[in-house]
Amino acid sequence: MDVTILYGTETGNAEMLCEDIQAALEDAGHDVLMENLSDVNPTDLDIARVYLVVCSTYGDGELPASAKPFAEAMKDAPDLNGLRFGVFGLGDREYETFNLGSKQIEEMLIGAGATLITERVTHDASGSDMAEDVALPWAETVLATVEAE
Amino acid sequence: MRNIAIIGSGPSGCFTAQGILKLRPDWQVDVYDKLPVPYGLVRYGVAADHQGTKNIVRQFERVFTRQGARFFGNVTLGQDVTLDQLRDAYDGVVLAAGLAGDRSLNFDTADGVIGAGALTRALYDHPDAPDLPDIGGDVVILGNGNVAVDILRLLAKGETEFNGSDLSPRATQWLTSRDIASLTIIGRSAAQSAKFDPVMIRELGKLEDVSIRVDDPLSGDEKGLEALRSIDGLNTGSRRITFSFGRQPKGIETQDGKITGLSVETEQGSETISCDALITAIGFCSDASVDRDALIESAEAIDDGHLAAGLYAAGWFRRGPRGTIAENRTDSLALAARIVQDIEQNLDCEKMGQDVLGLSTANMVTYQGWQRINEHETTQAMAARCRTKIHTRAEMLHQASTIKEVN
Repeated sequence: MDVTILYGTETGNAEMLCEDIQAALEDAGHDVLMENLSDVNPTDLDIARVYLVVCSTYGDGELPASAKPFAEAMKDAPDLNGLRFGVFGLGDREYETFNLGSKQIEEMLIGAGATLITERVTHDASGSDMAEDVALPWAETVLATVEAE
Repeated sequence: MRNIAIIGSGPSGCFTAQGILKLRPDWQVDVYDKLPVPYGLVRYGVAADHQGTKNIVRQFERVFTRQGARFFGNVTLGQDVTLDQLRDAYDGVVLAAGLAGDRSLNFDTADGVIGAGALTRALYDHPDAPDLPDIGGDVVILGNGNVAVDILRLLAKGETEFNGSDLSPRATQWLTSRDIASLTIIGRSAAQSAKFDPVMIRELGKLEDVSIRVDDPLSGDEKGLEALRSIDGLNTGSRRITFSFGRQPKGIETQDGKITGLSVETEQGSETISCDALITAIGFCSDASVDRDALIESAEAIDDGHLAAGLYAAGWFRRGPRGTIAENRTDSLALAARIVQDIEQNLDCEKMGQDVLGLSTANMVTYQGWQRINEHETTQAMAARCRTKIHTRAEMLHQASTIKEVN
């Protein structure tokens, strides 16, 4: 399957996680591109690919810096009908703004007509799980769901 | 292949190493630290109850285990090796030593006046930290940055609120047995200009045994004000916390060499806030291990981190005690790109790297040595703790060289 992993990061943790997802999906035979959201324009998104969006939360429930230009561009209401995507959020349950960043990205994409494949999954940095142990099954589930369609 | 030395293994040093090795995977990057253990501020500055923030270390582990950087701990610049020696041996040297000294007030000190950095280093088991001070009664925290809020939160927590942290038994005992009558946090500027992150204020809303009062009028839509309003009047228990703004410190009052009050000036005039302890969290400065001022003054392009030929500065060492880990990451990655560009333009013969330094390896701690320390600290963690840190250099060096029998 042709997959693009998009990440929004502030401290680099989301980027590192995406490197792991990319390696695992490539091992499973997928064609995987990885891009920082800061380098992506919503109108560039290709409905032939499946998008895996990994995004953290920063400050007081805001998007991380690298996702902000993308969010700005989403205000121009691009038509993303037919686009399939999954969202994985990184956050810290110590804060009440837990995972608001990934939620914002999800809402924006749905608002533009894109289709969310399986529910958003989140990781809690203050919990005991490693992010990749939660994210890899999530990525596999998203792709398996698309495959089953 | 080029050789780069980075002085300091805190976030800025590690992110610089990460950035260089992403651009040039075949370069040799050596990260030195004066402590036997890596990660600087992440280990000794980020609060013990903010383990989520410390997760960033997982990136740095990869810098050493996958990207090929080497760690050399327990090497003190100016003592074990000089800056000139490093510059002769390496194509690029990056000073990322941070700012560990507490900025002090411009007036006399006394018993009961404690710097935030010294206090947090003692709480977080830094091997060079002084003993934990004896404080109690009415405690004033001066400062409105995130460090001040960290200290306020730690002093306001009860024992179970430290579950999952890496706070030592000694620090836990100290924090929870203080006989504190009140905690007052004082800012010099008005509430809307306070520097703390609003999310840090909201976090106080989860404290289990406090009553919080914000004694300033709070109209305005700033996020910080919104956060303050959300905790004003919170009443979950007995520890009294007061936020007070717009108070310029003018001096301290003492009796028998011990602090009894902080004099401040407000728009309404002068007043004295009586206190038994004053914790100053008003910024950090160089701890004088390197002549930072001279280096910064003579820098070729300080905004880019370029100090002199082949010599660079990163993080707080360059920019002063401002900016979060994330902002310093952005800086470090930009610096990494610049270093690669500069060094590749310099066609002089490549330098030889660490081998020519003739450093004694006897007391140096490698990354493998750190892994042994780390293993010990995490497997020997006390109940309800994710880690129990070793707090002396001698024990660190011992664990670093102790090879475990595998049965």
